[in-house]
Amino acid sequence: MIQFKQVTLDYNQVSGALKDINLQLHDGDFTLLLGPTGSGKSSLLRLIYMEMLPNRGIVSVDRWISSHITPRQINFLRRHIGVVFQDFRLIENMNVFDNVALPLIIESYKKSQINKLVYGLLDEVNLLHAADQLASTLSLGEKQRVAIARAMVKDPFVLIADEPTGNLDREASKNVLSLLERINRNGTSIIMATHDYDLIKDTQYRRIYMEQGQIVPPGRTINTSKRRINILMQDE
Amino acid sequence: MKLIFILRQTFSNLWRERTPVTATILTICIALTILVALFEVSFILFNQLDELKNNMQIEVYLKNDLSDSKIRTIKGQLEGITEVKNVRLITKSMAAEIFNREFGEDIMEILDENPLPVSFEITLYQHFNKPDYLKAFRQKVQNINGVEEVHYRHALIEKLETVTQAVAVSGIFILIILFIAMNLLIRNTLKLSVYARRKQIEIMNNLGAGHLFVRMPFILEGAIEGLIGGILSTVCLVFAHKFAETTFSMLDFARYTYELVALITICTGTAIGFVSSAGSVSGFVNKIFSKK
Repeated sequence: MIQFKQVTLDYNQVSGALKDINLQLHDGDFTLLLGPTGSGKSSLLRLIYMEMLPNRGIVSVDRWISSHITPRQINFLRRHIGVVFQDFRLIENMNVFDNVALPLIIESYKKSQINKLVYGLLDEVNLLHAADQLASTLSLGEKQRVAIARAMVKDPFVLIADEPTGNLDREASKNVLSLLERINRNGTSIIMATHDYDLIKDTQYRRIYMEQGQIVPPGRTINTSKRRINILMQDE
Repeated sequence: MKLIFILRQTFSNLWRERTPVTATILTICIALTILVALFEVSFILFNQLDELKNNMQIEVYLKNDLSDSKIRTIKGQLEGITEVKNVRLITKSMAAEIFNREFGEDIMEILDENPLPVSFEITLYQHFNKPDYLKAFRQKVQNINGVEEVHYRHALIEKLETVTQAVAVSGIFILIILFIAMNLLIRNTLKLSVYARRKQIEIMNNLGAGHLFVRMPFILEGAIEGLIGGILSTVCLVFAHKFAETTFSMLDFARYTYELVALITICTGTAIGFVSSAGSVSGFVNKIFSKK
């Protein structure tokens, strides 16, 4: 379980700061984090994999608590969380296999185990044929699928996806969403930040709306660059 | 698998950044060559100086017309001095023979008499063969009744000692400068390398890689640059040796083996590369980590 208790983060005066966030994310859930650019979605996600630590309040992720965590423990935490970014963050001059295998190499897995896990995942994301290709030669959709495979290779309890479809066309975005849904059905929690409302409009997942660093309570309206959204119902 | 990955990273980085890497290797090579050559020159000069001091003889000329018993007394007095290791008597006839041998002329034929004085050749114990001791010793002997003149090659010894000391001092100075230059160059190459791969480092950090895993390829890069620089420097030194052996045949190169020079040079190169990179890379990596 992931929990935010009265979390405040003032890392950037302009955007991304968070104010008094209280939130619980349950195991196995698919949670959508919605809101305009600069509303604090990415900051909230970064607090989960502790790239940043809150100025006030506590973030607890499984057995790790932000107020007591050491740099060494942060490395350990990150090995149990899968993260997917809008810009993929692949190592461009490495081939697809090595990119996906990297988390396993970091943890000194045996070669046979690495081969089994990586080829299995590449098959799952339909990229087995591209295993030896350099990451730089892939299309954007393929890059995101490699990033998801890399995030999943350690079988994390939660997969964080920060605008995973932000750089993709409609078709590739749908493919990524259905891949994430498949992963969720296998038991992994998914937290996906997006401002692509069209992509998720037909889904029934829990939605959390954010605006100006705060979670928007039900009954309010938020403005995005494209539309106004009425928050009719929200879990928190 | 982890080690193979680190090695693969190291070699691919060396290849990718071959221009700055080549510059670093060449600098290490040149610096090491100068460094070891200087060390050797100092070593050879010190040895030559030592040898000269060990074989140095002090000549004590006596006044003319001294009786045999007086000469024996002076010999006894000289042998009684603490610093003296050996005293050898050179009679007038022996001096004439030496003159004959060295100048090819019989002094008796030229002058009809032998004006060469009776003398002693004195060898001192090695640790007394220093300018200060020699001056004091000369004074002591000069005061013995019957001694005309004390002669030794003090000017040469003093000059050699000054030169050797100057070489040693300038050697240390040059050594420090070269160390700093090598260190700066390795640091700069690594800095470029780290910054070129800062995104990769951030990604690895996000995936939970420890600092050592991130740093190791850079540290190995430095060590390999040092190793290659050391090997190239050894080749240069071997050629320099061969040239010096034929050009300066009067110097004693016999005790310097190529294996020893190679070992010192390669180990020094690798150690410098390793230490410089290990010292600097953590700072650069930490900077990138803390920039997030």
